[in-house]
Amino acid sequence: MDAVHLSQEQADEFAIGSLDPELERPIALHVAECGPCREMVRDAERVAAALALGVPPRRAPRRLRTRVWNSAGLQGPGILRRFATIAPAAAGIAASVVAIAAFTGMVSVRGQIHDLRQQNGTLQDQIDSTLSQKVQIAALVQRVSEEERTSAELRQAARGDHDLFVAMMSPESDVAEVLSVDPGASAVGRLIWDNEQKRVWFVASQLPRRPAGETYQVWVSSGGRYVSLGTFNSDESGFARYDTTLPQGLLRYETAVVTIERSGGAPERSGSAVFVTDLSRLHR
Amino acid sequence: MLAITARDEGAFALLYDRYADLVYSACLRVLGDTHLAEDSAQDVFVRLWRRPEAFVAERGRFVSWLMSVARNRAVDELRSRGRRRNREAAPSASGEDQMPLIAAGPEDDPLRNAQLHEEQRMVRDALVGLPPEQRAALELAYFGGMTQQEIAFRLHEPLGTVKTRIRLGMQKLRRALEGRL
Repeated sequence: MDAVHLSQEQADEFAIGSLDPELERPIALHVAECGPCREMVRDAERVAAALALGVPPRRAPRRLRTRVWNSAGLQGPGILRRFATIAPAAAGIAASVVAIAAFTGMVSVRGQIHDLRQQNGTLQDQIDSTLSQKVQIAALVQRVSEEERTSAELRQAARGDHDLFVAMMSPESDVAEVLSVDPGASAVGRLIWDNEQKRVWFVASQLPRRPAGETYQVWVSSGGRYVSLGTFNSDESGFARYDTTLPQGLLRYETAVVTIERSGGAPERSGSAVFVTDLSRLHR
Repeated sequence: MLAITARDEGAFALLYDRYADLVYSACLRVLGDTHLAEDSAQDVFVRLWRRPEAFVAERGRFVSWLMSVARNRAVDELRSRGRRRNREAAPSASGEDQMPLIAAGPEDDPLRNAQLHEEQRMVRDALVGLPPEQRAALELAYFGGMTQQEIAFRLHEPLGTVKTRIRLGMQKLRRALEGRL
């Protein structure tokens, strides 16, 4: 089949029923919608039907008539009625009747086609509506997911605030002011040391956000050796809050330092210091 | 047909008398079994009685339509039973030969029957005029319900050869019957 119509060969193959189902189906779909091709197929079907017409006729069994009448729920033709029906005069009436039947059948089929097209249109509308609703639902699901993620972040921040507040209120905690190494810098910070929770908070404001590839890293010195407490960065507003648990076995500490290191943190303190604080006054 | 649409049993009886042998013969040609052919022929006529509007006169002559219906019904039966038999030109001995060949049709309407017989004779002449291999390919497709692939396999011929035979066979048949169908 070319892009538009069937070839005569395809119509013949379709009419005689010699096509594989996967080839037959697209032709059947095309023929259903294409008048010229439908006419070509009908012509081919008439030619093919000649094969059946040419079969040497065999007498149908007599019982077939009885079976047909019984199965169709007919009462059986009476002799007089049958005789009257086959009278030559009836032939003319039958011819007229056939013509009217043809017209009636045509109208009926067209009506069915019209109804089917309407149903098809309705179904298409329903499909479109369903797809539209599906898209809307997908958008809502995504929005809910984003909201849930934001909510989780807010809950985590609130929990952090709560913990920080508890730490600041705890008699077991100490708060130390951290000093900016650059006297011209406006950054200010606090270090909260909670011995009860074994946690350390570092809070700072007006602290410049480190560019990509750099990070802030917190160190405490213990016995002349610097131990990393982790890395952090400030947000766009210059605010930073970082908390971590105290390293196991760290019993003594003298100072805390915040340095600028490469992203990911350094194993040994190497970058320039931003904040320094004296921890010697903290309770042990 | 309108009389049948109007539930006129007499008209249906007339139609049955005229075409029962043809329908039965076509079904028998496909199925090769008298009992199955009887079942299919019964189904064709019962459906005709229940849905006479299925025939639309503008689509062609009634007898061509009826033969197509009978053939399609029989092929459906054949396929449903998985009995794709090679129905070559010669009828089988499985029952088809048990029923007598008809020398003359019913006597209800001599003129119409004469016309019908003339058409049948003309069609048979056209079929006889086909090369045997083309006729065999057409009959395997039409009566055997076989696809071209299956025919190629059955005849041990390339698919292209089978396609050509069907194409040429249909062309010749069309030319031979031009203006008469």
